[in-house]
Amino acid sequence: MIQENWQGFRPGKWQTKIDVRDFIQKNYTPYEGQADFLAAATANTTAVWEECKRLLAEERQKGGVLDVDTEKVSTTISHGPGYIDKAHESIVGLQLDAPLKRGLIVNGGLRMAQQAAAEYGYKVSDEITEIYSKHVKTHNEAVFELYTPEMRKARHLGLLTGLPDAYGRGRIIGDYRRVALYGVDYLIEQKKQDKEEMFGGSMDQEKMRSRSEISWQIKALHDLKTMAASYGFDISQPAKNAREAVQWVYFGYLASVKEQNGAAMSIGRVSTFLDIYIERDLAAGKITEAEAQELMDQLVIKLRMVRMLRTPEYNELFAGDPIWVTESVGGMGEDGRTLVTKNSFRILHTLENLGPSPEPNLTVLWSQRLPEGFKQYAAEISIKTSAIQYENDEVMRPAYGDDYGITCCVSAMKLGKMMQFFGARANLAKSLLLAINGGKDEKTGEQLAPEIPLPQGDVLDYTEVRKKYSQVLSWLARLYVDTMNVIHYSHDLHAYEAGQMALHDSKIERLMAFGVAGLSCAVDSLSAIKFAKVKPLRNEQGVAVDFAVEGDFPKFGNNDPRVDELAHELTHEFITELRKHKAYRGASHTLSILTITSNVMYGKKTGTTPDGRKIGEPLAPGANPMHGRDKNGALAAMKSIAHLDYADCRDGISYTFSMIPSALGKTDEIRVQNLTAMLDGYSGYEAHHININVLDRAVLEDAMEHPENYPQLTIRVSGYAVNFIKLDRPHQLEVIQRTFYEAM
Amino acid sequence: MVQGYYHSKLTCGTVDGPGMRYVLFLAGCRLGCAFCHNPDTWAQGEQTITAAEVLQEAEEYRLFYENSGGGLTVTGGEPLLQPEFVAGLFAEAQARGLDTALDTCGLASKETIMQVLAHTDRVLFSLKGSTDASYQALTNIKSIRPILQNLQLVAARRPVTVRYVLIPGYTDGKDSLAALIGIMKSLPPAAEIEVLPYHTMGIAKWEKLNWEYPLQGVPEATKAQTEIFRQGLRQAGIRLAATES
Repeated sequence: MIQENWQGFRPGKWQTKIDVRDFIQKNYTPYEGQADFLAAATANTTAVWEECKRLLAEERQKGGVLDVDTEKVSTTISHGPGYIDKAHESIVGLQLDAPLKRGLIVNGGLRMAQQAAAEYGYKVSDEITEIYSKHVKTHNEAVFELYTPEMRKARHLGLLTGLPDAYGRGRIIGDYRRVALYGVDYLIEQKKQDKEEMFGGSMDQEKMRSRSEISWQIKALHDLKTMAASYGFDISQPAKNAREAVQWVYFGYLASVKEQNGAAMSIGRVSTFLDIYIERDLAAGKITEAEAQELMDQLVIKLRMVRMLRTPEYNELFAGDPIWVTESVGGMGEDGRTLVTKNSFRILHTLENLGPSPEPNLTVLWSQRLPEGFKQYAAEISIKTSAIQYENDEVMRPAYGDDYGITCCVSAMKLGKMMQFFGARANLAKSLLLAINGGKDEKTGEQLAPEIPLPQGDVLDYTEVRKKYSQVLSWLARLYVDTMNVIHYSHDLHAYEAGQMALHDSKIERLMAFGVAGLSCAVDSLSAIKFAKVKPLRNEQGVAVDFAVEGDFPKFGNNDPRVDELAHELTHEFITELRKHKAYRGASHTLSILTITSNVMYGKKTGTTPDGRKIGEPLAPGANPMHGRDKNGALAAMKSIAHLDYADCRDGISYTFSMIPSALGKTDEIRVQNLTAMLDGYSGYEAHHININVLDRAVLEDAMEHPENYPQLTIRVSGYAVNFIKLDRPHQLEVIQRTFYEAM
Repeated sequence: MVQGYYHSKLTCGTVDGPGMRYVLFLAGCRLGCAFCHNPDTWAQGEQTITAAEVLQEAEEYRLFYENSGGGLTVTGGEPLLQPEFVAGLFAEAQARGLDTALDTCGLASKETIMQVLAHTDRVLFSLKGSTDASYQALTNIKSIRPILQNLQLVAARRPVTVRYVLIPGYTDGKDSLAALIGIMKSLPPAAEIEVLPYHTMGIAKWEKLNWEYPLQGVPEATKAQTEIFRQGLRQAGIRLAATES
């Protein structure tokens, strides 16, 4: 049956072992044309989406959560099939038995599940509480057993925050394409073989761990089949047509979101893969273009309906109820052919057929060499919807090959071959204050870092402060690596992602993804100390509670090498320090400059800084310049971002950019052309990521007052997009305060 | 090296010539247009820059300009008041492969124009009206003739976009339209026109300078008025710029 279902595909080594990339390379059809072939939404799609819109409105009216199942813990097979509008759904499957109903996933932590439920007026059943408090150790419980007092303090005072110690770490991308290409039975056979071939013989700890995990994975694959069967599909064999391929891939993904409440649950890079099946069916006259579009529209509808039950703390870090169903689109192959297919267009076209939406998190892998037709279409949809982000294929391909996917916002990994240990972020602005304050926390006066002498003199001396900063960073790096090791050791044991890891090679490369927040604030502060006169105003504890700054200083975001170089130097130093400490399970250290929306929360936890930012004010998101300090225009800000080295920041460098439509030019055509050129230039200068928002600030202000008029208003914030009206007021205000380029 | 007196610069203009452009606003202008939205560029001032400095900065963003079919635009003020600086800057820009656009009101001697034009790839030519009467009402000069002679001179040699500000009651009448059509027809067929609706955003700058705004009370040109005027040009077979579609 396997051979039969593969009929019409060009053969290759993908037939004798799991190798999705080889299948794609041998079989895909690059598309260099325009968008004119695209079809409108079918009646089926419209019917399903109308029902979704009704449900989404109801969810909003109920305060953000439509329903919660508090009686049964969600797993791949916990709930029977659910439908939105069965007669019109061409792709099926919901997390629970009804749309937008949220499931309890407790292995991350019981208290979190309870708080999350309580937040929306629900109560976790007594039985579940009993089981997880008496009989099961959760990830959260285990981490806190392992935490040292120093780790707790760094966490509590906001130096290391957002750590995945109280929620699922996420950021793992199962290679869901494997389900469609091979069928589940073959995957199970392979896992059984791997277990003995790779992890047989004399036992050591890593082997025993791997054997145990593979057994878990095999069970998850059986569950996956059972779940699909409940919808009437036998997925033991490869998909034999386009509809099955989309459905099989989605089942793989669905199992993962039934089982894991991960911070980011990305889908990978499925559109070009699926195009191969669509092309086969189109060539055989089995489907029409409208039906092909329907499959993609309906897949996207399903991805838009994924929900997790999350705590208020989580929402404060990651506002707007995001899932990060990131789908990577386009890019170039190593052989020089583009990986853009007609299906790359179709998935972007869902933003037109269904209207804008933050999910899935559509991520275009950009290269100057992409076909012009696709570049222009992406730019056009960006301008219309502000829902697309762009990442530079030219800097990622050399590091990750041409079959990588983006997880969460900006983190690249080889699909099915790499996983990552998500590490949230360390606060670089706060670290600088530690260096100025002898290691004391500036907000509480508590000794946080090891005690160091206060800088001498009235005016801060750059060389002295910078040296002390290095001491703090060196201490922080050690603490950060240790903390991550503890978290992920515990997560592997107590909240292992068996379903997702089953869709990986059994021997995988692991990345440990560290991150920083407050880069531009730290760098501007260093610049102030270096180029102006900064006098710390200390309280009786010797802690600088404010700074008197005399004179001007260069600020990050203006393409001024004097300060941009400080940013480059700082990130390089920090990753170098991190690499000095061994990461759990042989993981490679990577670093992101990404805050998501936590820049607001990190700001709250950071005292007044020498750059003029006051206590509690937000830091800039990701690698952005501080709000309003990028005075030299958009291109200068982009060049500053490009000055950071992707080699130092292999987990991504996030930049969020907003402009009013007229800044891009006078007509639609000119705007598309200029945005395309802007992205070409940004990519050419080897910058990594950019969120593009094209809208008027007034629209956002109006949406704050009249949210009911803007149910689908989407805005890119920091590596992901949100439904603007779902943000709370502080986050809305922060977004509005960001620089909107009115002229560039 | 020749210094240029300048008012300000933008690293990414999208409305002064094709693509994304480095836009240098020179300081100094004698035409005294009543509707000028940058009266703060009339005085020469003391701020100077060299061609090398301009190009060093422009080079930083070269990929953006190249990819968009953009380049360097010099506007003002009136660039032709500093022909040596502009010619030198443009010569060097062209040598480096950067597209050069001159935004001028066309008030200069033939020699001056030829000196700058030698290194200019395209011209944005601002007509302040299409009749003597308009020029008398809106500028310091009495006759449109020298301007039109220079427009002919330029249009015969370089791609020209004529820019025409539509001011209700001043430049939007039937006679104005007819005269403008005549002017455009006298130019080579490649010449195009861009109609810019008059707006009052410049008033704040006049107030800041403590100058009385001459067009006080004149309403902005509406979209509809602008479209009617454009339609008149289109019907006469005049080529409208891509920005007008």
